[in-house]
Amino acid sequence: MIKHISYMKKMTNQYSYKMKAVIVVVIGLLILGCSDNFLDIKVQGGVTTETDPKLGERLVTGAYHSLLQGDAFGNGDVHGWGFISVTSIISDDADKGSTAGDQAVPIGDIDNFTLTPTNRFVESLWSGHYNSIGATNQALKALKVAAIDDTERKKLMAEVRFIRGYIYFNLVRMFGDVPLVLRVPVDANDANTDPAFQTRANVAIVYDSIKRDLQYAVDNLLIKSQSEMGHANKGAAQALLAKVHMYRGEWPQVYALTNDVIQSGQYDLVEDYATIWRQVGDNNIESIFEIQTGQFNNENLAIDNYIVSQGPRVGGSGGWDDLGFGFNNPSASLLSAYEPGDLRKDATVIAIDNSGTHVGTTLWDGFRIPSSDSVQNLFYNYKAYTSRTMETFARPEPKNRPKNIRILRYADVLLMHAEAIVNGGGSGDADALVNEIRERAGLAPKSGVTIDDIWQERHIEFAMEHDRFWDIVRQGRAAQVMMAAGKTNFVAGKHELLPIPNSQIILSGGLLTQNNY
Amino acid sequence: MRMKPFYRIFSFAFCLLSLNSALAQNRQVTGTVISAEDKQPVPGVNVLVQGTSRGTVTDLDGKYSLDLSGTEETLVFSFIGFTSKTVPVQGRTVVDVELELDTKTLEEIVVVGYGVQKKSDITGSTANIKGDELLKQPVLTATQAMQGKVAGVQIISSGQPGSSPQIRVRGVGTALGGTTSLYVVDGVLTDDISNINTADIVDMNILKDASSAAIYGSRGANGVIIITTKKGVSGDLKISYNNNIGFRQAANLVEMANASEYSNYIQAATGNPAPASPYDTDWYGTILRNAFQQSHNISVSGGTDKATYLFNAGYLSDQGIILNNDFERFTLRFNNDYKLSDKIQFGFQSSFGNSINENAFGNINIDAFGNVGSVYNNAYRASPIITSIQDGRYGNSSAYQNVGNPLLDLNNNSIRVNENRLQGSTFLSYKPVEWLTFRSSLGADWRNSLNRGYYYQFNADENTFLVAGGNQLRAQSSLIVQNSQAFRWVWDNTATITKQLGKHDVTLLAGVTAEKLNFTFLSANRNDIPADPDLWYIGVGDANTSQNNGGGDAWARNSYLSRVNYSYNEKYLFTATVRIDGSSRLPEINRWQTFPSFGVGWQIHREGFMENQNIFDVLKLRGSYGKVGNDQIPTNAYTVSVEQNKPYPFGGVLVPAIPGVQINQNIDPNITWEITEEYDLAIEFGLFQSKLTGEVNYYDKKVANALISVPLPRTGADADGIIFTNAATIQNRGVEVLLNWKKLVNENLSYSVGGNVTFNENKVVGLNGGRAIRGGSIGAAQGFTTITDNGLPVGSFFVLNQIGVFNTTGEVNSYINNDGDPLQPTAKPGDFKYEDVNGDGRIDDEDRVFAGSYQPVAYFGLNGSVNFKSWDFSIDFYGNVGNEVYNGKKAVRVEGRDNVEKSVVYDRWTAANRSQTEPGANTGNQLASKYFVESGSFVRINNLTIGYTFPKSMLEKVRISTCRAFVTSQNLFTLKKYSGFTPELPGDPISSGIELSAYPTTRTVALGINVGF
Repeated sequence: MIKHISYMKKMTNQYSYKMKAVIVVVIGLLILGCSDNFLDIKVQGGVTTETDPKLGERLVTGAYHSLLQGDAFGNGDVHGWGFISVTSIISDDADKGSTAGDQAVPIGDIDNFTLTPTNRFVESLWSGHYNSIGATNQALKALKVAAIDDTERKKLMAEVRFIRGYIYFNLVRMFGDVPLVLRVPVDANDANTDPAFQTRANVAIVYDSIKRDLQYAVDNLLIKSQSEMGHANKGAAQALLAKVHMYRGEWPQVYALTNDVIQSGQYDLVEDYATIWRQVGDNNIESIFEIQTGQFNNENLAIDNYIVSQGPRVGGSGGWDDLGFGFNNPSASLLSAYEPGDLRKDATVIAIDNSGTHVGTTLWDGFRIPSSDSVQNLFYNYKAYTSRTMETFARPEPKNRPKNIRILRYADVLLMHAEAIVNGGGSGDADALVNEIRERAGLAPKSGVTIDDIWQERHIEFAMEHDRFWDIVRQGRAAQVMMAAGKTNFVAGKHELLPIPNSQIILSGGLLTQNNY
Repeated sequence: MRMKPFYRIFSFAFCLLSLNSALAQNRQVTGTVISAEDKQPVPGVNVLVQGTSRGTVTDLDGKYSLDLSGTEETLVFSFIGFTSKTVPVQGRTVVDVELELDTKTLEEIVVVGYGVQKKSDITGSTANIKGDELLKQPVLTATQAMQGKVAGVQIISSGQPGSSPQIRVRGVGTALGGTTSLYVVDGVLTDDISNINTADIVDMNILKDASSAAIYGSRGANGVIIITTKKGVSGDLKISYNNNIGFRQAANLVEMANASEYSNYIQAATGNPAPASPYDTDWYGTILRNAFQQSHNISVSGGTDKATYLFNAGYLSDQGIILNNDFERFTLRFNNDYKLSDKIQFGFQSSFGNSINENAFGNINIDAFGNVGSVYNNAYRASPIITSIQDGRYGNSSAYQNVGNPLLDLNNNSIRVNENRLQGSTFLSYKPVEWLTFRSSLGADWRNSLNRGYYYQFNADENTFLVAGGNQLRAQSSLIVQNSQAFRWVWDNTATITKQLGKHDVTLLAGVTAEKLNFTFLSANRNDIPADPDLWYIGVGDANTSQNNGGGDAWARNSYLSRVNYSYNEKYLFTATVRIDGSSRLPEINRWQTFPSFGVGWQIHREGFMENQNIFDVLKLRGSYGKVGNDQIPTNAYTVSVEQNKPYPFGGVLVPAIPGVQINQNIDPNITWEITEEYDLAIEFGLFQSKLTGEVNYYDKKVANALISVPLPRTGADADGIIFTNAATIQNRGVEVLLNWKKLVNENLSYSVGGNVTFNENKVVGLNGGRAIRGGSIGAAQGFTTITDNGLPVGSFFVLNQIGVFNTTGEVNSYINNDGDPLQPTAKPGDFKYEDVNGDGRIDDEDRVFAGSYQPVAYFGLNGSVNFKSWDFSIDFYGNVGNEVYNGKKAVRVEGRDNVEKSVVYDRWTAANRSQTEPGANTGNQLASKYFVESGSFVRINNLTIGYTFPKSMLEKVRISTCRAFVTSQNLFTLKKYSGFTPELPGDPISSGIELSAYPTTRTVALGINVGF
């Protein structure tokens, strides 16, 4: 230390003049170094709209991605547990399931029609759908100025407008009048002050927008064989537009559009109904539009909770590693709706062995579920079963595995066409259409089919496929069906629609009005 | 750049003055002035040549140098707070002096931003705590040790090992901006001091009001805490050692129902008894423990007149009271100062800290179900009829009630955060003439953090559980590693002019600073890694499961600052400061802002008319105004980012998905800093030979443009439905009172009592046109439990008003609205009856009412000490009154089979007792109501210490110079009304005071020894 100090001292004496110089230089450097752009630091790692050269195309993929939202408890649900609850559990086809107390508030309330405007699932569905709408609007905005050729631009815009139309179709069926948002707000102030974002547009106006979007898709998309897998195509747009018209009772349009799909020769029924919901049935000949799931970044890319929430659940004496939370159980009312010998029943319902013989239930891939004393519920949704052993996944272990959701099947087109004929939308052989479906189900053909026959066929054919509740509301007999199924809390004129989330009403300062809740 | 002219003048002055230094040579005397009490250097001491008006002032390190002419022989050292000393030079060139403390005055020197000041000259509001005071307490950070010591400063601590407490200086001044106070450690600006060994600290000075903090401009709004670390003192080498060793435990536990009480409750709630079970598990008993804690410090210091050194090594180990939770910290400090010449000084302060935090509570959160899931919360919920573990197999609470077995969670994770931090600053100061000092200091802070989480594989089968099933399982083991680095530098350049002209005393400071931060992180994870800790490396895992991520942040600040202190005849004081701040985190249009302040003071006791009274020794009136900012907003707050990784699997299940993007946020492009304006008025006094000292302070501060995330309609294309904007105006007004009584009774006995209390009123006075901000969303059926609205305190509880309990179905049916419909048609006897506040005929969110605030009406600290012969005793209390807390954990009972508190079982409504305040047995999912709002008032014995100092005569034989042994207890006893674990609940401004899964306050008892060689 002493040595060190004396060295310093020596240095100081010799170089003190230089030290002063150093200070001056240092100060000088600071002045020079502090140039104008010292504070111009861009956000690190944050891609902005200016720095992404393929923004338009990538936003289109992002819009599709928004269909995978499944955060029912949080910021957005489109096809997750919330969707299951308000399309299936709410209907006469399914019960909440699981244990009595489990999720009694968001889901039990939906099942029993005791739901309130603060229901979390309902709120998340609202958010999720508007998130999707935001994603589509952003994509459309970027595509308009994207440096791509015009055919490609139109095709991509058509795909995005298909998604927007589909989302609004679900939204209008859930909530009735909804704010019709067809643009991106400039900034937060714009979103907060333009009443269009908070004022409900009449159902008819929303439907007009849906039709415009889907018509644009019909006009600018190619048929299935000329399109890439997983993307929306012309057939999907036509089938969806047909369904939209069906919900509006516009039968000639339903007739014409379904006829176009049938005549396109792109679609057919598959032979074995049960295989439709297995991986081998993904994007099969019967598929018109389905939500794609798969893998990304060495991870499953699935809809949160879609599979695991519906998986058979351990109960009673336990003793097995179960498949999920046990929600969305096929109801007694659905089971009794099947005609004897209908092959679709065993393809739709996992019936737990309750015979007392303990043989259990063996599924198509050989997996055995123990008998009822070890299982929480008696019936589960077979259409939501994934096989750990016979199907392929990036990660087979998680209970919530990917599963494509079939949104539109050819069978739907056939039955829509039949319904259009019966309703005078056009001429044709409704019997043949219905019997094509019945034949596959192993049932005897019917003749002189009535509207009730078609509705019954829709009920069974699309059981547990998220169609039933909206279908009976469309048919104008929701109250009647609910009463018959023992869901006596249903109030006609109220429970056909979900409540508008209370938080959004509060936010709007009263601009947003409530449904009959 | 706008600031260029300023720069030029500055540099010109530098050049000019540096040439000017070769002045007339005389005989020179140098030296260091230290305090006889703690041997620490005393800055600001007046050194006068006797019989002349020539003299100088000691610098930050207590050093001075003075030129003497031939005949001048005697120096007079004087400084307020110390007894003056007259020292003959006797031909020496080095005259070091020890000053004795003058106990009669309350004068002291304090470190203010970029300089020092006599406490008596200060016109703003500051508070000072000595290192000794901090070291007394067996706590991790100095911040925690500050609790209750300073009026106007509220410290809210979670008690968790390795965590930093929350500081609120004079109320909640922001709703959603950052709330972190600025720490200045030897000139290095930082927001975390968990790396600083408390034993290294000489003193902490807290700048409370805007006028004192304005010198830190846009960083001053949350208070500034200036920390000075120890330095060596010239003289013999000194070694000292101190330690404390003790244990800690949960201070207040909530008693849960036992198996039979649980069964009884379930029977009452559901009509069916709980399944028969041979078990009766006390889950808290299972996961909590008595934890061991210890700390050791050794320091070596000394120096010559040309150089001083201090070396300090510290070790601290702090077990958490939850199993497998451990915190360890190792620190090294090396502070050296060199006098290169009479005019040039150089020095550095450097510290290295390494900490390892194992399984910190809060990092373990693995409820697969998506509920609020943490070990602690699970212990609250798990049923007593499920066992924790039997013969190596766990009770399956998940299969029974959807709650993970908390013991299994604890045993099946290893989450470790290993942090290294190198922090230091170096300075060079140059004093060309006595009245001018240039100082350039460069500080750096490098922080490396390596986080590693390992999650064991286990199935929900009979190998793991007594009964198979449930959702608590992990199909594959996984390892996640994250490495992050932050580097920050700050360069301050200042010039200080100190001039005394007759009765005029002027100090002028001008400076420029620049600061920059870079942060990067890289993370990776893989699955299928064996359970052997030696194999916990990414390369060992299954490459087909590998994922990685990375990112970064960078920002810069540039500021110009100036301060003038003027006093006339030591009676009339004036201070003014200005700081001009620029930050890269603001859009260019409002990037630069000016933060001015001024203060005036009147030392009444120095007036002639006070000469003939002997009550007041000190009477000072001061007032100030200042403006400070809070720049803690996210770096990307004003730019729209394109969200990456929004893929879609067009190619089917077997083909990796196509990456996509979304733009799912909205922004306010004009976002700017929060600006606080504060007025401060105070009177300081010392009575009866300063036995009684005190201060009364009034403040009124208003935060304009408080940053708030304003909810956006969900239709506004914003994924989280909120945006940052400058929406609110928040006001804090309050009074601080400080009183201390000190008495030296005789040689053997002295005592002191003191206390401080702060009354604060917090109110939102403007809020974006009156639209309220809801917060405190805690899940279940609770919704948002707080509101931030006009006229109310920030984050007020906002819940339904329960007005009783339904006794019969008849009462349910007769509780009707104007249409004659039942208001609560689904209610059962035993359910709460809620008031239809808005009278719209139904009970819903719109019927919520204000139900108090988490912000206390007053908080206080009381302390007392007695020294008798070799014994010392001290006690201090801390508490607050008038605040409410929300019993969130009780409110979010979502699963009917969850356990309940013992009191819930016994106090519940029954058809017989017809309680009107407690609900009947239920299956949870209760609505948010006043029932869950409880008083948060408490008073705690914060610290109690008894020490014994061994007599010198005894120590001399073993060559020890000082030795003191002590026993201390932190948080020995709490008096509280709240039924939960702790009313001390940190949180965001709009969701604080909510106990959801809080870490309980801990109680520590420790033994320690301080030895000096």
